[in-house]
Amino acid sequence: MIEVERLTKRYGKTVAVDDLTFRVTPSRITGFLGPNGAGKTTTLKAILGLVRPTSGTTRVLGRHYRDLDEPTRKVGAVLETSRYHPGRSGRNHLRVLAAQAGIPRARVEEVLQLVAMSREAKRRVGGYSLGMRQRLGLAAALLGDPELLILDEPANGLDPAGIRWLRDLLRALSARGRTILVSSHVLAEVEQIADEVVIIHRGRFVTQSSTAELAARASAGVRVRSPQAGRLRELLTSAGMSVVELNGGALAVSDGTPERVGELAAANDIVLHELTAEKATLEEAFLELTGGETTA
Amino acid sequence: MRLLYAEALKVRTAPRTLIGLALGLVALAVLGAGSTASSGPSETPEGDAIATWDVLSVATTGVIFSLILGILVVTWEYRHGTITQTFLATPRRERVLGAKFVVALLSGVLLAVLCVVVVLVTATFWISLDLRREHWELIARIVLACALWGLLGAGLGALLQSQVGALVVVFVWFLVAEPLIAAQFDHFADYLPGNTLNRLTQHGAVEGVEQNGEDYSFGLWAAAFIAGAYALGVAALGTVSALKRDVN
Repeated sequence: MIEVERLTKRYGKTVAVDDLTFRVTPSRITGFLGPNGAGKTTTLKAILGLVRPTSGTTRVLGRHYRDLDEPTRKVGAVLETSRYHPGRSGRNHLRVLAAQAGIPRARVEEVLQLVAMSREAKRRVGGYSLGMRQRLGLAAALLGDPELLILDEPANGLDPAGIRWLRDLLRALSARGRTILVSSHVLAEVEQIADEVVIIHRGRFVTQSSTAELAARASAGVRVRSPQAGRLRELLTSAGMSVVELNGGALAVSDGTPERVGELAAANDIVLHELTAEKATLEEAFLELTGGETTA
Repeated sequence: MRLLYAEALKVRTAPRTLIGLALGLVALAVLGAGSTASSGPSETPEGDAIATWDVLSVATTGVIFSLILGILVVTWEYRHGTITQTFLATPRRERVLGAKFVVALLSGVLLAVLCVVVVLVTATFWISLDLRREHWELIARIVLACALWGLLGAGLGALLQSQVGALVVVFVWFLVAEPLIAAQFDHFADYLPGNTLNRLTQHGAVEGVEQNGEDYSFGLWAAAFIAGAYALGVAALGTVSALKRDVN
């Protein structure tokens, strides 16, 4: 569906994207992740023919974006920078885009309904909130009912209800066989909907795997609290688990399960005040993979 | 054709800018034509024809508006970031620019016609119009100049992408740079864009009446050709630049 091959983009001395290769498979939702400044937007723009690669190639549906016939009907895109002429109404904005792509006007009303913007459509875009702009951007991307959607940080500016709405919309589109590539710097936004993730950092490829696989890779841990912490710690360590003492006297045990820790404690008559399985989050795996830099 | 329609729709659906430009143009034309015509025809047999000529000359103001509108047709897309979506819908950027150039050209024609009609209608309050062949020629020259300068504006817009930048360049060039250059290098002053435009729109006179203005190195056709070369040249540079640059 999308092929990025050895893509490199330099701006002067800054390397925005560095020898990046990955593929996006059809009919799935792929999360495109990386901290801010990792080169996500540049990569997406290169895929969409807006940025000329310094070297390497990008293909969409087997071709360069530039060589697609009727691209609006095949690929819908919402870029972080989706912006509008402030004096134009939302509806007129979509009409202009529809006219450009030869899409009938009736479709404008359809997509307005799809993104729940029918009521605001006649207002000037200049007065829209960030969330409304994002919705209008999505409406624009959906105009041609494309089989592939490329969304750059679509959740930016949406409130929690909006994020949930977006998730539902993307799921519904995916259920209808659409392929979606959605970028984000916040893994939590994507982990619930993405089948697969591509992670990049500093313009370089880090990993590509299914979301489930990535979650499994994140090391799970156990949190345990006991009045006999010192003795417990010795036992756990000699059983081959690594233990770190946390603030407040609790122990963080990695490479262990709550069952093993509990049984070990019972066998040695150790009283436990707390035994919790710490659910490994993708966020941690993500931070680990991208060198623990803040992603906020 | 579809692209042309879309581009025209863009111009039409940005009403404030357009109304502002049109109102400014009409106000200037009415004021100019009024003040010119109200001095009345002279008491010669050619009086009405000369007064009509002078009134028509006021319509050359349309050239500036065409230039500005041409700049806007391209740069407001960059300014508001809509160029991204435009290039997504039509990744062959030369087609987008081609459509914009045509729209700028046609807008120039429309502005010129609007200008001519407004000045003539205004003038009828004071003088009786005497439109002869040379008047129609002058109208044609004004229309041509507006169309070419609309194209020049669009080309400059594509080249610079910045709305403020393009407007500043235009005003600095025509008001400061060109007069300075012309003063320094007398022999090719005539070939500078502003002067070819003046040649095209202002010089000449009603037949049988003494010529106004100085001698030029070339005739009207040459002036039209040079002005056209400037417009096309800038449009070509603008296209090449837009093809190469990244869209942010």
